[in-house]
Amino acid sequence: MSRIVVDARGSFCPGPLMELVKTIKDAEVGTEIEVLSSDESSAKDIPEWVKKAGHELVGVEKKGDYWSIVVKKLK
Amino acid sequence: MGKLAIVLASGELEKLQAASIIGSVAATLGTEVLVFATMDGLMAFKKDVVEKKAWKAGELGKGMLQANAPLFIDTFKQAKETGNLKLYACGMVMDMLGLSMDEFVDVFDDKLGVTAFLGMTEGAQVLFI
Repeated sequence: MSRIVVDARGSFCPGPLMELVKTIKDAEVGTEIEVLSSDESSAKDIPEWVKKAGHELVGVEKKGDYWSIVVKKLK
Repeated sequence: MGKLAIVLASGELEKLQAASIIGSVAATLGTEVLVFATMDGLMAFKKDVVEKKAWKAGELGKGMLQANAPLFIDTFKQAKETGNLKLYACGMVMDMLGLSMDEFVDVFDDKLGVTAFLGMTEGAQVLFI
């Protein structure tokens, strides 16, 4: 199981989401992508996007002053 | 995922930013997005305006520039790379002022008249910004 970390801390909405979209596009199916975001609205918005785009939300976790959002590419 | 048409008529930075964010996120979800830039919304893409960052901006817009938030032009460019988003320049405004495509930053797919735009946007949700 490969995992890619996308560090989008310091970037404002929709930056973290856009970083994820770019990464997920080029990743292989089954890859887990961890987005690090210091932007709270992105932490809420990314799960919404993942649901709509048909991928799997593995988990969202607040780690101090940032969020870790783990997504699995399903298609 | 449907079709979204955004008519960008305002040159206010805050509105341009909002339009680019909504349009680009919609494009990432597989929505076909058409952006028609007209009036002051088209003038905001002129190279000299972009270079000087001379957009009409209120307190928030100025704050965005200071915070180095991603600008609408870059957001649109990114959306074109990752999804199905196309930008069109209003032919009427260009003809009226004698403007050519190379006076604008390189984001436009074509120059269109309003009839062609209406044809393209048939069945789309339209946002007028």
